[in-house]
Amino acid sequence: MSKILCATRGGEGSHPTQDGAVALAKERGDELVFFVVVDISFLNQTAAPLVVDVEARLEKMGRFQLAMAQERAADQGLEAQAVVRRGHLRAELVAAVKELGADTIVLGRPQDREAIFDDKALAAFAKGLQAVTGAEVLIL
Amino acid sequence: MRKRLVASPTMQRWLLLIILGLALVLELSVSRPLWPVLAQETAAGPAERGGSLEGRLLDPQGEPIHGADVAALADGGDEPLVHAESQNDGSYLLDLPPGEFDSLIIEISRPHFYPTELHLEDSTVAQITAGEAARLPDLELTRRLTPGFWVATLSFVLVLVLIALERLHKTTAALLGVALVLGFSFVGGAINPDFFIFDFERALEYVDFDVIFLVMGMMIVIAVIEETGIFQWLAYQAYRLSRGKVWLLVTILMIITSVASALLDNVTTMLLMAPITIQIALTLGINPLSVLIPEVLASNVGGISTLIGTPTNILIGSYAGLGFNDFLINLTPGVVLALVALILFVLLHYRKTYAAAGKGLSDAMRERLRESGRITQPEKLRKAGLIFVVMLVFFIIGDTIHLVPAVTALLGAVAMLLWVSTDIEEMLKVVDWTTLMFFIALFISVGALQEVGLISFIAAGIGSLVGGNLTVAILVLVWSAALLSGVIDNIPFAATMLPVVGFLTRTVPGAESHVLWYGLSIGAAMGGNSTLIGSSPNLVTAGISERAGFRISYLEFLKVGLPATVITVVIGTIWLFIRF
Repeated sequence: MSKILCATRGGEGSHPTQDGAVALAKERGDELVFFVVVDISFLNQTAAPLVVDVEARLEKMGRFQLAMAQERAADQGLEAQAVVRRGHLRAELVAAVKELGADTIVLGRPQDREAIFDDKALAAFAKGLQAVTGAEVLIL
Repeated sequence: MRKRLVASPTMQRWLLLIILGLALVLELSVSRPLWPVLAQETAAGPAERGGSLEGRLLDPQGEPIHGADVAALADGGDEPLVHAESQNDGSYLLDLPPGEFDSLIIEISRPHFYPTELHLEDSTVAQITAGEAARLPDLELTRRLTPGFWVATLSFVLVLVLIALERLHKTTAALLGVALVLGFSFVGGAINPDFFIFDFERALEYVDFDVIFLVMGMMIVIAVIEETGIFQWLAYQAYRLSRGKVWLLVTILMIITSVASALLDNVTTMLLMAPITIQIALTLGINPLSVLIPEVLASNVGGISTLIGTPTNILIGSYAGLGFNDFLINLTPGVVLALVALILFVLLHYRKTYAAAGKGLSDAMRERLRESGRITQPEKLRKAGLIFVVMLVFFIIGDTIHLVPAVTALLGAVAMLLWVSTDIEEMLKVVDWTTLMFFIALFISVGALQEVGLISFIAAGIGSLVGGNLTVAILVLVWSAALLSGVIDNIPFAATMLPVVGFLTRTVPGAESHVLWYGLSIGAAMGGNSTLIGSSPNLVTAGISERAGFRISYLEFLKVGLPATVITVVIGTIWLFIRF
């Protein structure tokens, strides 16, 4: 059985991507893994002291949102797994693909305000990911 | 292979305690010397002695000039009879050799000032010749623009730009600024004295170690408290008490955030509240931004109430000598009024969003939320809470017993390590050493600006603008601070404004009530609400929110933040006029 790795962040903007990944997994009979990366590099912007274990807090938030995604998948008749990693998105995605043996990566299409990539940048990101991992990369 | 020396956890605990203990001793000795200050000069014996000249050097803003070379020349000679260097308070003392002089000239030179000659009056020369001490009136030196001025100024601007554009980590950017200033001072200064800004010794004099140790102590205290899960529990209680009424939830969360920001600091508060708030919002089926943005606005306002609530207050309090009680008594009532107005504004702005709360999540997700909102370490909370309450008492009575806030924070940190028994390796990790280095580098960079006179020029400009009128001074300071805080990170901004406000406090009649310091606090903190980049809590909240898939755009924040800023700054200004 092949595996689909769906990189998601939660929020309504991610729902179409999650639904698309669920549909794809059901169609192919593949396993589905929802994947979140906790990246705290944005904290370098601030000049204030940071003493909280932010990664732990964000990981908990990430697991909450992945649990929501798993519930949505279960409502559609698919049992999905959830994985949270800490680090930078690209590096962790590549590592996760190898570790989990995923054949397909699903990335979310930019949804206006929630997007961190525009279409062009996302396409380039996907192409690079495909080259490194050898996995099929779909943008849904 | 080299054997790595590894200290046991017990040894590491004692090592950290020794470091904190030394920091305590240092702080105590600075606030109250533990040993007598030795006289810098020994008294002359009963043998015949020459006269002496003393005086004081000031810059155009009345600030003492330190490190100026003062030389006395007699009877038209080229070689100085004696040299002296002006001290931190601007004073100098020249002990002249015995002799008869027809004329005496004092030559004063210092980088970034025009060389000055003072021809002494005949009566003063006669006094000196008779072996008496003479005191000269305070002498104002005139500043001049030098290459060093441009080096210091452009280096600082570069640091601000690098931080704003996120090209470098903030600490790296600040250290780059320091490296440029010191590099030009030493290398450039050897070629042309006009490049010299200051040396290491002088640079370190600008570092306010009260701030460093206060921040360090609070880091440890906060790190222990937040581990207990108390903030997540409070947020969950707000959810439970509101019973699905979103307007009530937002009101309670804003109050919690405001109070927490006053007691801990507003960045930490938002780092703790934002993730659980997002989960609560998702559980209720509402857009998390409609709760997060009001929370961060409340944190910027609430943090002003106390000395330790915002990094800007810590900077202001230490520089101006304002204690915990000063902020509590003089700002808290105004903050409460501003918070009430802010809550009403937010409820009005988001009324449609709150009314349209959608279908919530399943019971399983609600249970997951309940799990997230648990107090995870009740015993630790009991102990840490007790220590924190004692710390608050010491902050309040500190002025009375001559206990500076930094010492209270260090004592609290030591108590946490000794009694709450936190993992020592984790404690070493939670101290944000890079931020402490950032503060040190920032102090040195602003010190360079003071050395070369940029701060004086700014202070003089503002002084001319306000013309000695306290009302105008308050309005100009509060609103310019509010405006600039929206575009510049308020920590470097506040650090730069400290000497400027110090000058205005000394020169504007009526300002001795410290009203201008409180005005800077209000403007710098509340002004940070106007834009997304205006303050650190805004940035960290936006970062967390984006990682959850809910991006706060600049415009979206501005639509709420700008009117909120105007409302709260107006109330803050009115409060200042009422109070002072």
